[in-house]
Amino acid sequence: MTAPHILIVDDEPSLLDVLEPVLEAAGYRIAVAKDCATALAAVEVNDFDLILLDLGLPDGDGKMLLQRIRLGQDVPIIVISARHQEAEKIAALDEGADDYVNKPFEIGELRARMRAAMRRHASSNVNAPTYSIGPLTIDFPTRRVALDGEVVRLSPKEYDLLQTLARSAGQVVTHKRLLAAGWGTETTDTQYLRVYVGLLRQKIEEDPSDPRLIVTEPGVGYRLVASG
Amino acid sequence: MARHFLRPGTLMQSMQDEARGQAPFVALSVVLVFWVVAAFASAGLGRVATALLFVLGVVISGSIVGLATAMVAAAAASVCYNFYVSEPIRQFHFGSARDVMPFVAFSLCALVSGILAGRLKRESRAAHLSSKQLAGLLQISETLQSAVRPADIVSVMRSQTDLSATSKIHLYLSREGSFESWAADDRLDQMAQLTLQATQNPYRRDGLVAYRLQFGETFDGVLLFENADVTLLSPAFMSSLANLIVLAVERAALTEINAERRAQVRTEELKTALLSSVSHDFRTPLTAISASASSLIDLHDRLDAAARFRLLRGIVNECDRLNRYTANLLEMSRLESGHELTRRQEIGVAETLSAIIQRIRPRAGSRKIETEFNDDRLLIAADAALFELVIINVLDNAITYSEDGTRIRVGAALEGQFCAITVADQGCGIPEADQRRIFERFYRVRRAEPSPRGSGLGLAIAKGFVEVMDGEISARAPGLEGLGTTIVIALPNVEKATRG
Repeated sequence: MTAPHILIVDDEPSLLDVLEPVLEAAGYRIAVAKDCATALAAVEVNDFDLILLDLGLPDGDGKMLLQRIRLGQDVPIIVISARHQEAEKIAALDEGADDYVNKPFEIGELRARMRAAMRRHASSNVNAPTYSIGPLTIDFPTRRVALDGEVVRLSPKEYDLLQTLARSAGQVVTHKRLLAAGWGTETTDTQYLRVYVGLLRQKIEEDPSDPRLIVTEPGVGYRLVASG
Repeated sequence: MARHFLRPGTLMQSMQDEARGQAPFVALSVVLVFWVVAAFASAGLGRVATALLFVLGVVISGSIVGLATAMVAAAAASVCYNFYVSEPIRQFHFGSARDVMPFVAFSLCALVSGILAGRLKRESRAAHLSSKQLAGLLQISETLQSAVRPADIVSVMRSQTDLSATSKIHLYLSREGSFESWAADDRLDQMAQLTLQATQNPYRRDGLVAYRLQFGETFDGVLLFENADVTLLSPAFMSSLANLIVLAVERAALTEINAERRAQVRTEELKTALLSSVSHDFRTPLTAISASASSLIDLHDRLDAAARFRLLRGIVNECDRLNRYTANLLEMSRLESGHELTRRQEIGVAETLSAIIQRIRPRAGSRKIETEFNDDRLLIAADAALFELVIINVLDNAITYSEDGTRIRVGAALEGQFCAITVADQGCGIPEADQRRIFERFYRVRRAEPSPRGSGLGLAIAKGFVEVMDGEISARAPGLEGLGTTIVIALPNVEKATRG
């Protein structure tokens, strides 16, 4: 298997000085673009396996770049942003970004997100029939959810939410997408969502007050940990 | 400020003023004229004409000079008439009513004209006074427009000549318990306190006149006249003057409140801006540090020695950057809260610059930092930490915006009273239109090509610091060999007595 080809779109020299050698050492092939124009040009010629995109680019915003890339191809995109930029993160995710990492991040976290994004991308083409992590298994064709082999009874809405999360396991799923999956409309109050996620946690988490499977991403959405 | 008004009664007034000093002379000449007319012309004129001439003379002297002169003229006219004009000629005769009548007529004329003239005089003087007061009030109200602080109001009143010629004016204000005076005199202060409690207004005591000012709720105030010219200080005048001053004080208070509010808004804006800057400026180095350190932990074995060293070097550099940001922010907030420079000391410019350049060299990459200073007369009185921050901010800017391998020249030279420090680079340069604005907070030059991002604070902070040290900072093109920018920092050079 050849080394995954990664494009880093960032203009901070200090961050690039770290990411480039480290990700190369971690087994990736790295290309760097310091602005939108260079990034677009690079995307035209190369087939990247993943794009790391800093939202705070100096010329034009990263969101525009995101749209342009999405028009052309279906490459996993991870957005790097500051914690307080909730609105921008959500907008980026809605525009088609796969996930995000908050600055400052640790390299292990970044690599986990990158792996999850690339795996989902690969598996979504194959459409894996099952998801399993620890005691939890989901069988998609039969809509069967089991905990340690014992069947868990879920309402249709609960199952829809869990399936949506599992289909993007390891990645954040925005409130908007979850609402669309459970209620078919994006305008429903996120309060419903909180209630149903709470019910789901009651049924599948060991300790619902300290969730390990369905993690809250404050202000953005929820994340089901990647299957392992 | 001097204005000339056509004042009613001014002409009359001046004639009277002139004549009053010469009353004996006028009386004497009238007597002389009467005698000449009676002795030499009365035969030709006839008795009636002569009598009319005498009446005319009496009335004129009464109206011009006053009652006394008119009475003298009337007496002279009676004597002359009796002696020269009435039968028997050249002989006094007081036998009949006919002889007494001229005396009575002349005296009545004198009385009437004298009294009328006196009344006119009084009225014209009053008119003159009130017009003077009016003009004074007008002048005060005009000059008070420019009085921004209560202290200005006092000086405006004192500069008012008509008032200050005779009396000295003091203003007392008490606001929410605190008592402000501009007199520094216990006796006057006490008088002002008494006036605030007194029931009558104006309040007079020991030759002082005090007028209580009627404010709204926040203020109390007293206007105090020392050696007052009582004729000038009519109650109406004082109350109008007091109104003007109340308005001015209230305006000054409003101006003050407005200025405070504006300062508050500016501080708020600054805080917001600083916060957003902190979130960017601090997060970037933190991200680099976090990524480097976690890589060293996670991927230690997969990184070669050179890469490990680069990561560690990067961590040190980014820590240095964070440290600089922190120092900048701290000093900035100190400046913003208006702290005075207390840590001033004499700094040898040449040696300090050398030390700073030594420290910044590792950050400069392969850029060559040249120096051009060796004058040990270059001495400034400054805060060493601030001075260092200024130079580091400017040098950092030069490094950030120029390519590896270019030159940066730091120079210092004596220019008149100033020590001029220059930092010239071969970087991307600053368009002329932006050369002033780069010192504004968060201003970044818009460029078509991608360019590194500073915080937008470095030069603003440098400017703030330089100005606190009574200096100036400016940018000009070009830097070195027709490229880039030169930043000039001029700080007052300390004069040192030539050594032995």
